[in-house]
Amino acid sequence: MGQTVAQKIVARAAGRPAVEAGEYVNVSPDYTCCQELAWQTRKRMMQEIGVDRVARPDKVIMVVDHTTSASMGSPYYLSHKEMKDYAFRNGVENFFGAGSGLRHLVLTEKGFARPGLLVFSDEPNIASIGALGALNIAVSSEVVVTQITDENWMLVPKSARIELAGRLPFGVLLRDLAQILIRDFATGDALSQCCIEFGGPAVANLSLDERQSLLACAYHTGADTALMPVDDKALAYVRERAQGRPYHLLSADPDAAYVLETSYDLSTLSPMVTVPPELHGAVKLEEVAGLRVDQAVIGSCAGNRLDDMRAAAAVLRGRRIDRGVTMYITPGSREVYAQASREGLLEVFVAAGATVLAPGCTTCWGYEGVLCDDEVSISTHQMNYHGRNGSRSARSYLASPYVVAASAVAGRIADPRTILADAGARA
Amino acid sequence: MSKTRIRGRVWKFGDNISADNGIIQYSQVPDLATFDIPALKAMCFAELRPDFRERVRPGDLVVAGANFGHHSHAHACVAMKESGIAACVVESCDSAFIRKALNVGLPMVVCPGITGIVEPGDELELDLATGEVRNTGSGAVRHARPFSDRMIEVWRAGSLTRAMRQRLA
Repeated sequence: MGQTVAQKIVARAAGRPAVEAGEYVNVSPDYTCCQELAWQTRKRMMQEIGVDRVARPDKVIMVVDHTTSASMGSPYYLSHKEMKDYAFRNGVENFFGAGSGLRHLVLTEKGFARPGLLVFSDEPNIASIGALGALNIAVSSEVVVTQITDENWMLVPKSARIELAGRLPFGVLLRDLAQILIRDFATGDALSQCCIEFGGPAVANLSLDERQSLLACAYHTGADTALMPVDDKALAYVRERAQGRPYHLLSADPDAAYVLETSYDLSTLSPMVTVPPELHGAVKLEEVAGLRVDQAVIGSCAGNRLDDMRAAAAVLRGRRIDRGVTMYITPGSREVYAQASREGLLEVFVAAGATVLAPGCTTCWGYEGVLCDDEVSISTHQMNYHGRNGSRSARSYLASPYVVAASAVAGRIADPRTILADAGARA
Repeated sequence: MSKTRIRGRVWKFGDNISADNGIIQYSQVPDLATFDIPALKAMCFAELRPDFRERVRPGDLVVAGANFGHHSHAHACVAMKESGIAACVVESCDSAFIRKALNVGLPMVVCPGITGIVEPGDELELDLATGEVRNTGSGAVRHARPFSDRMIEVWRAGSLTRAMRQRLA
């Protein structure tokens, strides 16, 4: 039986010629990656184990991304310092402090995410690195065990294929597809224990930012992780940043096995809004248009890349947000922040009345932009359950950066196509 | 008896049992920062089987259908382990749940077809090293993926941190 890309990546890390889907194997991942929120838990685990060192400092990547400043009243300032001390004590060169950006973006921008590599991280949404052909496996706080021993067990994922065809219509983004996929798969177990391999003719037209944002949502469909084909666009990006470090170009064997094969035609999509509190609650925008919003937010690992900044700016340029709306925009990394600055996007945001926050997870998990009772937010966030962004009675609607920015201007959930058409006519 | 075998009496559950709103009631866990063992034991399967707490015996097994333990926190695994459950044998579950369960010493064995060969109260014997799952009464057998040596080491030690401590001692 042939091997899928995911199987080949795992087989290499396991030092074996081939592995079977569903098999438990020991692997030595190419990198482990973790953030600061669970540092105290990891520290306690290390104390229980009685070890305070890492086996391969060169494979460890530590990023402070959830709490971008050691704020008054926040307990995390201690973790910032302890994590940095731990990294320095252990010779971990790849420590990235507060404001560097999200692990998802640091991994790609700094050339760690390369084709054929296996990464153990503390978050399933880091599947975004699959846009460059690297496989993310999420392991939670026990990432510390892999750091101590340089190996751990994993379940070889099954593979599912989702083919993308057609071009996105005007005013529609790949984010809209992500919300549709979650709607279609999150309530069953069709993608359980799977790596989704995206493919099809539409991929070539998608930017690397779009690909990463889609993959960052893959876990919410029930899948373990996801990959995109490594095409010329992806390879050019990797070569620019790999600094001579190795990578492995892999493709699936013709007789590789997929538990599910399906396709989506991007040209049939329209703007979506996910209605709280379930992630599978995506409906067509028209069904909720007009609903008053108190907060509009661009950010999260599925909505903070340069493309998202440009999309928000396309709507906000020359406009002001509604006086009843608070708007936060969080670029996903220092690189995104700097480029957004060079392109004049930050000026567009500020002139529109939005607040630009330091690169990090910030608002997505409620560290900033906390909602009061019954407040309504619309955002590019990853979660919408009760209490995610503050009060349990607040409601968090999820949508593309176009829809979020259009809603900020209108003060109500609004169709971005009207504004975008107008902006196009003025340009 | 081989050191990778587990034998026990079956508690049987259906499909789509949520971890946080089924195995336990996560929203009612008094302190999420630590594992409150008495509270977790008290709520273990309480909504689904009110008599579970009274009648569960150390070494009992949980058999469940598809998508067992979705939306999970480790608390659900601790609740089952501390209630005396020796292993779970399920039609399907997500990968993270297998890891969370094993980290606290509870084998989560994915065994397609298992719900067709056992009834509540039956006795099952499973071998983690071979993946064989057998109904000792009827003799019916189903096969799960064998656990790797590393996983068996964690199960024997009783938790991930204990296994690591022993290995690195």
